[in-house]
Amino acid sequence: MNEAARQDVTRGLTPRERMSDDLLRPLLQTSWRFWATVALLGSVVATGLGTWAYQMYRGFGMTGINMPVYWAFYITTFVFWIGISHAGTLISAILRLVNAGWRRPVTRCAEVITVFALMIGALFPIIHLGRPWLFFWLVPYPSERGIWPNFRSPLVWDFFAINTYLTGSVLFLFLPMIPDFALVRDKTTGWRHRVYGALALGWQGTPKQWHRLEAAMQIMAIAIIPVAVSVHTIVSFDFSMALVPMWHSAIFGPYFVAGAIFSGIAALIIAMAALRRFLHLEDYLHPVHFQNLGKLLLMMSLLWAYFIFNERLTVWYGNEPAEREVFLVTQRGSFAPLFWTMVVCNFVIPFVILSIKKLRTITGCVIASFTVVIGMWLERFLIVVPSLGHKYLPYTWGQYRPRPVEIIIVLSTFSAMVLLYVLFSKLVPIISIWELKVGEHYVADATPRAAAEHPLLKAHP
Amino acid sequence: MKAVYALYADPDAAQRAVNSLRDAGVADADITIVSSEPLEQHELGRRDHATWMFWIAAAGGAAGLAFAVWLARLTETAWPLPTGNMPIVAWWTNLIIMFELTMLGGILAAVITLLVTARLPDWKPKLYDPEVSDGKILIGVANPSSASVPAIERALHVGGARLKTLG
Amino acid sequence: MAHRWGMAVDLDRCTGCGACVTACHAENNIPTVGPEQAARGRAMHWIRVERYWEGDFPDVRLKFRPVMCQQCDAAPCEPVCPTYASHHTEDGLNAQVYNRCIGTRYCANACPYNVRFFDFFNPQWPKPLHLQLNPDVSIREVGVMEKCTFCVQRISAVQTQAKADKRDIKDGEIKPACAQACPAKALVFGDLNDPESEVSRLAESSRGSKLLEDLGTLPKVTYLARASDI
Repeated sequence: MNEAARQDVTRGLTPRERMSDDLLRPLLQTSWRFWATVALLGSVVATGLGTWAYQMYRGFGMTGINMPVYWAFYITTFVFWIGISHAGTLISAILRLVNAGWRRPVTRCAEVITVFALMIGALFPIIHLGRPWLFFWLVPYPSERGIWPNFRSPLVWDFFAINTYLTGSVLFLFLPMIPDFALVRDKTTGWRHRVYGALALGWQGTPKQWHRLEAAMQIMAIAIIPVAVSVHTIVSFDFSMALVPMWHSAIFGPYFVAGAIFSGIAALIIAMAALRRFLHLEDYLHPVHFQNLGKLLLMMSLLWAYFIFNERLTVWYGNEPAEREVFLVTQRGSFAPLFWTMVVCNFVIPFVILSIKKLRTITGCVIASFTVVIGMWLERFLIVVPSLGHKYLPYTWGQYRPRPVEIIIVLSTFSAMVLLYVLFSKLVPIISIWELKVGEHYVADATPRAAAEHPLLKAHP
Repeated sequence: MKAVYALYADPDAAQRAVNSLRDAGVADADITIVSSEPLEQHELGRRDHATWMFWIAAAGGAAGLAFAVWLARLTETAWPLPTGNMPIVAWWTNLIIMFELTMLGGILAAVITLLVTARLPDWKPKLYDPEVSDGKILIGVANPSSASVPAIERALHVGGARLKTLG
Repeated sequence: MAHRWGMAVDLDRCTGCGACVTACHAENNIPTVGPEQAARGRAMHWIRVERYWEGDFPDVRLKFRPVMCQQCDAAPCEPVCPTYASHHTEDGLNAQVYNRCIGTRYCANACPYNVRFFDFFNPQWPKPLHLQLNPDVSIREVGVMEKCTFCVQRISAVQTQAKADKRDIKDGEIKPACAQACPAKALVFGDLNDPESEVSRLAESSRGSKLLEDLGTLPKVTYLARASDI
C-alpha cells in the first residue's frame, strides 16, 4: 500500500473516495514542473509552426523533395501518426466489445492518443501541399468555380475517412467523459465548478441516462472498428493505387492496418508508463496491464514480420525487374542500413523482450515500445522513398536527403503530441473514474464468497 | 424545486427504498433515482424500456449511404471530366465514400439520439445531491403533494437512510 | 471527327543534340532552375533526352531517346488528382490545369514516365530575360505541377485559324516547338484519327513500339527503333 493510501486509511477514506482523490489530484494540484514541461514543449511546437510558415513563405523548395522523390518525410510522418491513432480503437472498442475488464483504466489514455494523433496526422496532408492555402478544395462544397473534388482520388478518400474517424473518435472520447465532468463539478468550487458544470451538460445520472449512454457507447464501439480499419486501408490506397514498383500491391491494406495497430499499442504502452510515473497512478496501472499489452505487442510484432515476409518473398520470387530494383536497394543497397535497423527495432528486440516473461516488465515493455515506434517510422519511410527513387525509367532514378525544415517540423509534431497529452491530463481525469468504479463493483460481485464448509480451492472427494 | 429524497450507501438499500416507495403508492414515473455509475445488476437500474437507439443508428447509416450516393452522382456529373479511362460515375471508388458516410451517419445518429433521449444538455436545476459523486445513491420524489410527504418519508427511512428535503 | 493528337519519335534520326529541349524551354516559359537546384534533381525539362551507356570501355555504346509526356489514353496521373487539375480532353490530350492544382504531387508519383514537374520556387527571369517570355503561355507559380502539353497553345492557334478560314487542319500544319526545332526531323506530330497523316503512318511502322507499353497506360507516342538495333 503506498504512502497516500496509508494516509487515506488514517483519514477514513473509502477505496472509492480514494480513487476519486487520486484521479482528480492532477486536475486540482499543479506544480512548477507542469509549467516547465508545457513551456519547453510549447517552444518546440512554436518552432515547428514557425518553420512551416517559413516554408510557405520561401516556397516548397526549402524541403528535400525533388524529381522523382516527390513524397518523403511529410507523407511518412502522416502515415505514422494515422497509424498511432489506432491505439484507442483497439483498446477501447475491441476490448469493450469482448468485455475485457482489464481495459478499464486504459481506455481513456488510449482514446486520447487516437484523437490527438489523428489531429496531428491530418495536418500533414496540408503541410505537404505545394499551395497549402487551397487545401479546402478537398472539401466537397458547391464552389463558385462549379467544380467538385475528384472522388476517384485516394486523397479525397483520405479526407472522408480521416474526418469520419476523427468525428467518431472525438465523440467516443467525449461521451464517457460526461459523468466524470459531473464528478469534477461536484468536487470543485469556483471557476472549475462552473466550467466542468457546463461541460457535464447537466448530467444527472438517472438510470435512463446511464442506459442511453451505454447503448451509445456500444454502438460507437461497433461502428468505430470498421471505420478504423477503413481509414488506414484508405491511407494505404494512397500508395497501392499508383503504378509504382513495390507500391502496387494488394497486401498494402491489411499490412498497413496491422502496422497501425502495432505502432498504436507501442504508443499506448509508452503513454501509460509515463502517466503511471508522473501522475503517481501505480495503484491503477498495474504491471499486469503492461504484461497484457506487451503480449498484444508481441503478437502484432509477429504479424508485422509475417506481412513483411509475404511482401518481400513475392517480390523476390517474381523477379519483376522494376520491383527487384527497389527490393535490392532496400535489402543490400543504399537503404540497407535503415532497412535492417527497422527489422531489428520492429521484430528482433520486441521478440526477445516480450517473449521472455522475466523481461516483460514495465521497463521492458517501454523499451520494446520505443524501438517499435522508431521502427515503424522507418518502415513508412522505407515504403515511400526507395520506391519513388527507383521507378520504371532508370534515367530518372534519384536520391532524397531530408533538409532542416522537414526534420524540424516532424520532430515538433512529437512535441505537439506530448504537449496535448500533458494538457489533457491536467484538465480531464486520464482514467475513466466511473468505468473504473463499475469494474470494482463487478469484480466484487462476480467472485462468490467462499463459505467455511466449501473453501474455493479444496477439491471435492 | 421541492423534493423529498434520501441517500443510500449501497444499491441493495436503495432497491429496498424503491420497493417501499412503491408500496407507499408512489408511481414508478415519479421516483427519481440518481447514481454515479450504472446499476445494471439491480432492478432499479433497468427500469425504463428498451432503447430504439440501435434502430435509429441503423437508419442514420442508411441516410448517410443515400447522401453519399447522391453526392457522388451529383459531383461526378456536374462537370464530367474524364480521368484515366475510368467511367464518369465510378462505382468502385464511390463505394469508399459511401462506406465512410454510412458509418458517419450511424455514429451521428447514435449520438444525437443519446443527447435527445437523455435530455442533454440541460443545465436547469434538477433533483441532485453532490454526495452522489461519493458513491451514494439518491432515491427521491420531486414535487410531491403535501399529503403524501409523510408516507414518502416513512418509506425512505428503510435502512436508516438520512433524509433531506429540498426547497 | 474529333482529333486525336499523337507523336512519333524516330530514334534512327535523333542525334541527341538537345535542340528540342531548348526549344521547349523557350516556347513554354520553363525556367532554368540554376546549377544548385539542378544538382538536387529539380530541373524541369518537359522534354528530356535520356542517355543510357551500355558495355565497358572501349566497346561502349550510347543509346538515347527524347522523352516527353506520352499523353496516355489511360493516364495513371488523372484519377489520382484530387482537384481534377489533371484530366483528359476530347482531343486525347492530358490537360494540366494550373489554376486547379494544389500541389499534392500525386500525379507525378503515379506517372511511370516521370514526365511531371513541380515548381519548387517562383520562377525568376531577371531583366532583360523577361523579354524572351512567350505571351501565349502562362507562367506557373510556386507549388503547381506542370508538364508537356504537346504545345497546346499552337494547337489552339491553328484550330482557331482553320475555323476562321472554314477549312480542315492540314497534316503538318501544327508543329510543337520540339518538332519545329529538331534538325533531323526526328519528331513528328499529327492527328492519329487521320489515317493519311504522317504520324499515323509511322505509328503502324514495323520499327515502332511504345514506351512501357505493358503497363497499360496507352501512350500516344510511338518510338521507331534505330535500324542498327533491329
